[in-house]
Order: sequence, then C-alpha cells, then structure tokens
Amino acid sequence: MRTLADPTRRAVFERIIRSDEISVAALTQGSGVTQSAISQHLRSLKLAGLVADRAQGRNVFYRAERKGLAPLVDWMSHYGVFWRERFADLRTQLKELDR
Amino acid sequence: MNDAALNTGTQEIVVDEFFPHAPEIIWKLLTTGELIGRWLMVPTGFEPVQGTRFTFQTTAAGAWDGVIHCQVLEATPNERLAYAWQGGHAENVGYGAPLDTVVTWTLRRVEGGTRLRLVHSGFVAPKNDSAFKTMSGGWKKVVQTIGTLAGGPH
Repeated sequence: MRTLADPTRRAVFERIIRSDEISVAALTQGSGVTQSAISQHLRSLKLAGLVADRAQGRNVFYRAERKGLAPLVDWMSHYGVFWRERFADLRTQLKELDR
Repeated sequence: MNDAALNTGTQEIVVDEFFPHAPEIIWKLLTTGELIGRWLMVPTGFEPVQGTRFTFQTTAAGAWDGVIHCQVLEATPNERLAYAWQGGHAENVGYGAPLDTVVTWTLRRVEGGTRLRLVHSGFVAPKNDSAFKTMSGGWKKVVQTIGTLAGGPH
C-alpha cells in the first residue's frame, strides 16, 4: 500500500491499469515528469508485484499484474482518473470543432 | 431511476469545468454517437432518448467481459443528460467488481460559455477496506485540482 502513497506513482499505475500494455515513453508523455522519474516509479511498482514488464527491441512495455492490484484499485479510483482524462479529450474535440 | 440513484451511503465523483462554448455545441458532443466516440468511447446503440439502452466496450477483467451497460434516464436538450452505467461481475473484486452507477451531465449557460458538470454516482465503498480510503483520498485531491484549474466554485 505504501507503494501507492505517492500521487505520481499512483497516476502511473492507474494509466498502466487502463492500458493492456503501455511503453515507458507513452507513460512519460503528458505525465509532467521525466522518463527517469517514471522509470524509478516503475521499478517500485514492479518490486511491489503490481506490474510486470516485457522488453521488445528498444522499448519496454508494462502491464498491470491484476492479481496484485485487485483489492487496491476500486471502480472509484479508476473513474476518478478516467473522467478527468475524458474532460481533457472533450476540450480537444471542442477545439477541433472551432477550426 | 435505478438502485444506485436511491442508495444512501454511496459515493460520487464530481468534475466541474468551464468551456468557452455554447451549451448547444457541448450537447452535440455529448449526444451524437459518432462524436461521443472521439472523446469518451464508441457507444453501441446510443440515442439521446429516455429509455434507450446502449453499451460501451471497455477492458475485460476476470469473469467480466468489459461491457458497460447503459440506459438513458433523462435527456433534456442542452441542459441535462443522465444514463445508468452498469457492469462488472460478482466474482471480481476491485476493478471489474459489480458496478451499478449513474452518470449525469449538467450544462449551465454562463457568460462566455458553459459550465459542464459531471456527477458519477452510486459507488459502494468496499467494507473494511483500507485501500479504498487511501485511493478515494486520491481522487478527491484530483477533483479539487480540477476545480482550482477551472477557476470556479464547484
């Protein structure tokens, strides 16, 4: 549980949960922190058994270990992040319509 | 209304933001199937007509196929859209557990645009789950941040 006390780490974890698999580069994009900071959070999450990784070429992909996370991530935390992102996407679509 | 709307002791997520667009334009994005797919998820069978049933396909988990079952509860053009949002499976805990909730969009015309408010209600707190308390503290912070960024009261 302490692993998820850090808000940035929790945000990283929640993004991994909502993706089947996601690369470190994709996780870094839009996160507001550096790739090395993301990598450090990923190491902690992996140590805690919450995520697993897979190397492919020069990329490393992460996926959630659903057994590890089941009791930790409830619907409410999932949708708290989900709707915030949908609002951002809605704003982008409105800007598209303005063009 | 379904059970989620009537239950007491449930919790909700609120996101409230200002958009520099007329309510009519936002309503179109909230209620046109093809446009919904661009910012939310692609709906199957959606019509902004009370009683209409539709679905979204999300990530499956355990015994749950990932389908969100929805039904339009209210559709008042340019003002209010509410739909039931149900899914999950009794064999799952956490993500993928039974979900019986309601999503309500409220559009309020204000100077220079619209205040759009989302209320996702009906979340049931897992019993004796310290994880829930920790995580729900997280989203409350998120909502507060959104409120600050939007520059207005909730």
